[in-house]
Amino acid sequence: MTWTIALAGNPNSGKTTLFNQFTGNHQFVGNWPGVTVEKKEGTLRGNKEVRMVDLPGIYSLSPYTKEEVVARQFLASGPDAIINVVDATNLERNLYLTEQLMEFGVPVVIALNQMDVVNKRGYTVKSDQLSAQMGVPVVEVSALRGTGVKECAEAAVKAAQAKQIPVPVKYSPRLETYLQQVEDQLPADTPQALRRYYSVKLLERDEAAAAQLSSVPDVEGVLVKAEAEFGDNTEGIIANDRYQNITSFIGNVYQKAAAAATVSEKIDKVLTNRILALPIFIVIIGLVYWISVSTVGTLATDWANDGVFGDGWFLGPGQEQLDEAAGEYDTAQAFVDEYLAAAEELGVAGAADIMEAREAGEDVDDAAMDSFVTAAAAAGVEATYTPVDEETGEVMADEAITGDAALFEEYLAVEEPDPAAFGIWVPGIPVLIENGLTAIECADWLQALVLDGIVAGVGAVLGFVPQIMILFFLLAILEGCGYMARVAFILDRIFRRFGLSGKTFIPMLIGTGCGVPGIMASRTIESESSRRLTVMTTTFMPCSAKLPIIALFAGAIFAGSGLIATLAYFVGIASIIVSGIMLKKTRPFYGDTTPFVMELPEYRLPRFVDLLRSMWQRAWAFIKKAGTIILLSCILVWFLSSFGFVDGAFTMLTEDQMDMSILAAFGSAICIIFAPLGWGDWQAAASTVTGLIAKENLVGTFGILYGGGEGLWANLAAMYTLPAAASLMFFNLLCAPCFAAMGAIRREMASGKWFWAAVGYECGYAYAFALCVYQIGSAITGDVNPVGLVVAIAIIAFVLFMLFRPDPSKKKRGTRVTSVAAADAA
Amino acid sequence: MKLSDMKAGEKAVVAKLRGDGAVRRRIMDMGLTKGVEVALVKVAPLGDPLQITLRGYDLTLRKEDAERIEVA
Repeated sequence: MTWTIALAGNPNSGKTTLFNQFTGNHQFVGNWPGVTVEKKEGTLRGNKEVRMVDLPGIYSLSPYTKEEVVARQFLASGPDAIINVVDATNLERNLYLTEQLMEFGVPVVIALNQMDVVNKRGYTVKSDQLSAQMGVPVVEVSALRGTGVKECAEAAVKAAQAKQIPVPVKYSPRLETYLQQVEDQLPADTPQALRRYYSVKLLERDEAAAAQLSSVPDVEGVLVKAEAEFGDNTEGIIANDRYQNITSFIGNVYQKAAAAATVSEKIDKVLTNRILALPIFIVIIGLVYWISVSTVGTLATDWANDGVFGDGWFLGPGQEQLDEAAGEYDTAQAFVDEYLAAAEELGVAGAADIMEAREAGEDVDDAAMDSFVTAAAAAGVEATYTPVDEETGEVMADEAITGDAALFEEYLAVEEPDPAAFGIWVPGIPVLIENGLTAIECADWLQALVLDGIVAGVGAVLGFVPQIMILFFLLAILEGCGYMARVAFILDRIFRRFGLSGKTFIPMLIGTGCGVPGIMASRTIESESSRRLTVMTTTFMPCSAKLPIIALFAGAIFAGSGLIATLAYFVGIASIIVSGIMLKKTRPFYGDTTPFVMELPEYRLPRFVDLLRSMWQRAWAFIKKAGTIILLSCILVWFLSSFGFVDGAFTMLTEDQMDMSILAAFGSAICIIFAPLGWGDWQAAASTVTGLIAKENLVGTFGILYGGGEGLWANLAAMYTLPAAASLMFFNLLCAPCFAAMGAIRREMASGKWFWAAVGYECGYAYAFALCVYQIGSAITGDVNPVGLVVAIAIIAFVLFMLFRPDPSKKKRGTRVTSVAAADAA
Repeated sequence: MKLSDMKAGEKAVVAKLRGDGAVRRRIMDMGLTKGVEVALVKVAPLGDPLQITLRGYDLTLRKEDAERIEVA
């Protein structure tokens, strides 16, 4: 026989810690079907027969929040027992939920948590009195110290075995008569255990709960009479009655010591102080950013991307010296190539042969090289090598190197540095796999699939994990200690106008470093609609991978103006605000209006193991849920860009042959869509697609497609007008983010429909924005396209209308949640 | 008097809750029911929301919602 035990309790009651104590490592995390509410399950330590389900933290069982709806659906599905975690330092409000839990016809055990704190403060809680009063077993526990945990689990299993159904708390006699009248009208097939629950829900006019009945009786007459008698609506009557009942006995079981200011109150005086609150917030959040993005986070990401999933990494120092030597070697090689090309042009004997041999990776014998050098020196061949900045594609004319045969010989002698000479070198995974594949003489295309497709894709997933773990560790501290609730308290005034939570600031800020942890940081936002809005708009902020794109355009088109970067951040922030205001007035976003009536929990020190567990669970969720989508998309785009038809035969392409790839054909087919944006050529379309693997790839693809001749910058400047270039840049900054971020969106939305809505909105917004930039920009520079201009003005008019129209949801405050998929009772 | 008119440090008893729907239910679920004693702890740095204490714990709510709560 297996037992299912539900763990229910208020947020901040120590429920998660207790759940961790119950289950240890035997737990897994998912989502409740159809909603972004986290679902945790596990088996009891030392007894696999007992399945524990951790319900979301709730204060009541109303139909108004997704958390409460999934919780009550699960409770109504008939678990074998409920462990109700009650915070003993906050007994009055916690027992309000207990009263409701006792109406499900399921055995209830109260886990009276935080007893250590109660005793320390000199409060008195008589747990035996409480047990007698409520009619359910009460076990004193301290989730933090792990005391009473075993006894509590045993009591719950015992209650489940004995089917100790509690007698629901009685309401006031007048209310009970009305309740009885409703119960008499319930359909006959209503389960006996749930008759009390459904009567109360019918009395509360709870349509979502009533819809679970086989037929909904008409009890409106009873309700109207009750409301007339009590002078309140039925929801209010019941809530009042429940609290009155608690107030009537609480004095007998709970005595507070004389009110001295607690440590928590003293901390709060400083952290939410009128003058200090904002500066302290900026310092704390700055610290989070500095650790998770600027310093430790970047180190971790670089290590994962360039080391483990790159060439390799050093155990200890050595990287800097290696980079320097590798740079010298690359410069030398580039000059040697330039020199050979120049010599060949002048017809120096041997130049062509040597070039061919180098290209094929063969050694050139010393005699041939010597005779070439002599000939070239005699002919007075000189060459110039101009380095190009890899990140931005800038041609670095100041650093050009010009030299003759002597310099050629000198550079030819520069040897490729061996990493092992600079420290303890650990080769990267791709290198190891490549060596292995070469050793077994694997076919080229298969080797490319494994290395450039699969390994690069896995790298793209796992490369983010170290940074995500660091960020989540820090966020878990802020959440666990109680500061996160204060963030919402401090910033609510600013953000609520945009349909966003005060906590939205954190994803936005982290998003300027990397969108993936930014999106995942939205997890801390309490209301589902704010959370979804944040997930949708976070990547409008230019992340670090978009900086090379900005640098490329700023340098190539806008004369290196630093204003472009500032403008990009400004557009990002403005886009979030505009989207927030527009979207919060649309139906999908006012479906769930969690009111801003929030507990400010006491500050407390979180347990280190709980922080680690929270960090690991979230990182693992990213790997599992986001990983698949990232991996498959990376392989797909790799395939599209590396294969194509050359002379009628389907084959794998070299890098220079990208114009023959499937991606190029695809680009040609879709580029007409982008003509209204001013860049209807296939190169720009194809580059935008490769930018989805990682935004900085865009610069590399541009380099391949627009390189040569005067260099990338000059070619770009010749190809695009100012408005077209600005349009191309902004489209790529605002449109769907990279696959990794899209994976994160998929994970956080927990719904395919919402995922596509988010990506679709981002692309649509980017398209409209770029169109306006191009059409209006062209009109100002004297190149008017009447149709385009009209469309641009229409778009702006529409956005203005959406911004300033009255909010239709204001009329409908308090829409109930009806569309939550039935929680699985398996 | 309305809850939103209270000054920091002031104590009062809830007399009446106006409005309906999700916000009112939530307010009552959090223990803000008729007859309960509340104290205004402070106002957020930007002037809104409010922090109150009741039934032994701290709660924050917006001024617009506090305006619907009569205290005496």
